[in-house]
Amino acid sequence: MKPRKVPTPGWNFEYLMWLFTRISGAAMVLLALIGFVGALVMGARYHMDLGTLLRWTFFPNPNHVLNSDIPDIAPWANAYWQIMQLALVFFGATHGFNGLRLVLEEYIHSWGWHMFLRLVLMVLWLITLGAGFFLVLTS
Amino acid sequence: MQVTLKIFRYNPETDKKPHYETYRVEAEPTDRVLDLLEKVKGQQDGTLTFRRSCAHGVCGSDAMRINGMNRLACKVLIQDLGTDHITVEPLLGLPTVKDLVVDMEPFFEHYRSVKPFFINNDPPPQKERLQSPEERERFDDTTKCILCAACTTSCPSFWLDDQYVGPAAIVNAHRFIFDSRDQGAEERLKILADQFGVFRCHTIFNCTLACPREIQITKAIGEVRKAIATGRLD
Repeated sequence: MKPRKVPTPGWNFEYLMWLFTRISGAAMVLLALIGFVGALVMGARYHMDLGTLLRWTFFPNPNHVLNSDIPDIAPWANAYWQIMQLALVFFGATHGFNGLRLVLEEYIHSWGWHMFLRLVLMVLWLITLGAGFFLVLTS
Repeated sequence: MQVTLKIFRYNPETDKKPHYETYRVEAEPTDRVLDLLEKVKGQQDGTLTFRRSCAHGVCGSDAMRINGMNRLACKVLIQDLGTDHITVEPLLGLPTVKDLVVDMEPFFEHYRSVKPFFINNDPPPQKERLQSPEERERFDDTTKCILCAACTTSCPSFWLDDQYVGPAAIVNAHRFIFDSRDQGAEERLKILADQFGVFRCHTIFNCTLACPREIQITKAIGEVRKAIATGRLD
């Protein structure tokens, strides 16, 4: 019997976005966990309330802890936490906009509208990424 | 016992829009919903229209919404519904032709699109194409489909966009994709990997709950998705 043929995986947009959605969802949970543990290691237990800690956990931006009792902002504002924020912005925005694309494509059935809305969403995604990266790199 | 049947009625020749009609029927707890529909049609209102054929859960003709769930009318006992008020409606997501009868053509169009037939261009052997019990077991569950459309018409992704091939078509593709004697897996997986294929499934599990043959449909969709993702059929 001949070996059965299966398409080479990996280069299908729907599959890649399906995979990205799963990976980015797990990555955002992991990044939040790293932010949470990192804050505790840097003394969050003594220097801030729960609300401030959670704001930092989900987006480790130094502006979120400025008004707390931390003695020194330096450990909270460095390139490491900037990279964490950039990753969060990228995963969050891309995950969200892809979800919006799926919802719109389920409700709207014309091919022309699909293409138009994909273009609009891509522009909005790029603007969101640009604004997010600008915020991270200038704060 | 007395059962109150509330039935969706629509006659395109006389009705501007659908409505419900209520019938009181004398029934045994062990009667099936199909028996009650037959009683209404035979004794109270001959214009009531519904599909039925074998009446034993094999042909898949009488799938309908019974108290909000997609079921085969011939398999649901009154005593299992836990109420004497029963609402019967046509399947969602397919155009209603009359009363409880829906147009199944969009459903069968998706079914045909996945090539639900044996593909093997090798010259036939002297006897049969052999297969081990383990190879047969691989796709055993999906051979049970009776094409009643209960799964596809319970799927919110299909309700939203009927271009989605739907669970039944994927189940029937699975039956051949994982058949060791078949050679059409590549073309079927290409069809199912597109915008309206398996990635439209949001693992809601309505299809698995609705299937009267208890096929693990969401699992089968996951296996097809895995074959697309890995390029392997094991």
